[in-house]
Amino acid sequence: MARTIVHADLDAFYASVEQLDNPELRGRPVVVGGSAESRGVVAAASYESRAYGVRSAMPMSRALRLCPDAVRISPRFERYGEMSKQVMAIFRSVTPLVEPLSLDEAFLDVSGRAKFHGGRRPLAEFLRAEVKKRTGLILSVGLGTNKTVAKIASESGKPDGLIIVPAGREAEFLAPLPVRALWGIGPKSEAVLAEAGFARIGDLAASSSDRLGAILGSRGPEVYEMACGRDDRPVVTDSERKSVGAETTFPRDLPDGDELRNQLRRIAEEVGERLRRHGARAKTIALKLRYSNFNTITRQTTRGEPTDGTDEIHGEATVLLDNVVRSGDKFRLIGISCTNLEEERKEQLKLFD
Amino acid sequence: MKLSCLQDNLTKGLSIVGRAVPVRSTLPQASHIKLETDQGRLKLVATDLTMAVTCWIGAQIEEEGSITIPARLLTDFVASLPNEKIDLSVSERGHQLHITCARNEATMAGMDAEDFPPVPPVDDGLSINLGPAELSKAITQVQFAAATDDTRPVLTGIHTLAEEQTLTLAAADGFRLAVHKLALTEEVPEKVEVIVPVRALREVERLLSDQTDQVEMSINGGRTQVLFKMNSVEIVATLIQGTFPNYGQLIPSSFTSRAEIDMKQFLQETRIAAIFARDGAGIVKLQMEPSGEGQPGKLTISARAEEIGEHRGDMDVKMEGEEAKIAFNSRYLQDVLQVLEVDSVALETTSPSSPGVIRPIGDDSYVHVVMPMFVQW
Repeated sequence: MARTIVHADLDAFYASVEQLDNPELRGRPVVVGGSAESRGVVAAASYESRAYGVRSAMPMSRALRLCPDAVRISPRFERYGEMSKQVMAIFRSVTPLVEPLSLDEAFLDVSGRAKFHGGRRPLAEFLRAEVKKRTGLILSVGLGTNKTVAKIASESGKPDGLIIVPAGREAEFLAPLPVRALWGIGPKSEAVLAEAGFARIGDLAASSSDRLGAILGSRGPEVYEMACGRDDRPVVTDSERKSVGAETTFPRDLPDGDELRNQLRRIAEEVGERLRRHGARAKTIALKLRYSNFNTITRQTTRGEPTDGTDEIHGEATVLLDNVVRSGDKFRLIGISCTNLEEERKEQLKLFD
Repeated sequence: MKLSCLQDNLTKGLSIVGRAVPVRSTLPQASHIKLETDQGRLKLVATDLTMAVTCWIGAQIEEEGSITIPARLLTDFVASLPNEKIDLSVSERGHQLHITCARNEATMAGMDAEDFPPVPPVDDGLSINLGPAELSKAITQVQFAAATDDTRPVLTGIHTLAEEQTLTLAAADGFRLAVHKLALTEEVPEKVEVIVPVRALREVERLLSDQTDQVEMSINGGRTQVLFKMNSVEIVATLIQGTFPNYGQLIPSSFTSRAEIDMKQFLQETRIAAIFARDGAGIVKLQMEPSGEGQPGKLTISARAEEIGEHRGDMDVKMEGEEAKIAFNSRYLQDVLQVLEVDSVALETTSPSSPGVIRPIGDDSYVHVVMPMFVQW
């Protein structure tokens, strides 16, 4: 039976929270991020500022040139976390199968739930209305039979959108969209595909798994399946989420040095301990750094052998840190997250029952 | 009743029957031992109503008679006496046992032997004679595989099948299976299939080292009781009723990898790895590599203790088939390896999640099947 997957995404989340908390900001272009002087970047832009061409991840100095009237606000991640929790709670009131992707977006597996709401559209409308009522935030929803379709549907409907892709019409829905709408197709892959004559997802679907394999390598077959509207990845709930991480925000920005390195060691210990407690070992270790200008980067490395050892995790994270740190850098936050987990499933098999 | 015997003999007899005395019983007589003169000997009986042990010891009988005495009191008292002659007598009037030994004198309150639970007769059935050494080996090699919890009572017993000229003992606890075949000197007149409580067989096995003559095993016509008759001890046990799993189909008929392994080395390496496996559900991982050019095959046993360390040991083996990986609970491996009396064993596997088979090389009488642990390699 076809699944019903929802991708729910809050519109201009950080900026919207700021506008909600401070009515004076409503209707005005708001950009959230570090100051231009500290070489900050845009973490979020309200739709008013987007009209001027402001986009996330753009240097703040450029954003303010594009939109001189914009109000810049330093991010308040704790507050966003609180709001996010409320929204996720609304999602979980509909289904326990919620996979948060970040503070402002999540996949929901609502298969079999629609009948309680009188259909798929009423269910999606219910989510949007509840979020609006309880938090004031605007939620865009895409609904389809799998994650790829749901995600692209919600993206296409933004802002304040609701797009439902009926079962059997997935490929048809995707066909006219540019290839970069697909997950995992970034500017590089897009260029490679363009050179091979693929502009739209429909072009990919009309090709073949082998052909795309020849162009994109091992990811080819997966991309082909997605282009055809097929994707059987399950919605993975928080409790079974395949990542274990920890991070810490410093009371004052830290330069590279003993204090920062000690924090890294402490976080590695915490992450290692949690991995071991969950009986999991990680292949991928990611270092997260937030600079004093709020620019946040992650660097990751994948090991041949999964690990749950504090020393290994610390070692990998240290190498990552050494590779990015430059003198004069100051950091607000450092974190480690381990993904690509291998649960150490141990089970005595039975001879008979 | 009036008799005398040696303290040593009485102590030994009491300790043999004492194993049938229940720790707790609703029936007061069951926590007693029955003493009874019997054809010039003193007969001791104890039972927990599922198993009865009877032992005869040499005695000088002056007056026939019987009595039951609380097991614990009698056993502890007699065991503490000097190894000299003991005089036992039961007073005419009451149920009191009078004991004198050297300069000790004691009186114990007992009960009428008439009220002691009777030991059921085991007759009109099958009787077979078994060599004590062979029976001991058979019991030793299967008993550890019987289930210890009684969620499925049949699995707490040893499946005992007498057919033609073979007696087959089998035990399985859901994770492993041990099967031992004993050749009989005579063909049995009919096929008999029963489930003997493992506890009774363990008691039998304990007594077999003193046994020189053949042991007579009898099963009654109603297939409800089994009797093991030894030199001066008899054990009667109530058979477990039910259907034992059809284990024949659980023994893999083929393999993709087979290693012939030195038994002592295999056991030693397993024990070493088990030290590391203590915290990890006892998991030891086995890897078998086929022989290369001029190279013998190799068996590697490894174990890992989270955050503590790991160990690997290897040994040369004679390998047949493909390389293989399989993980076992180390205890299961040790259990089987330490009861085999051969120089080398064969380990046969098909996949990391299919049963492993262990066979003593040069001894077709035994096969052991053990389910692996599913682990992430």
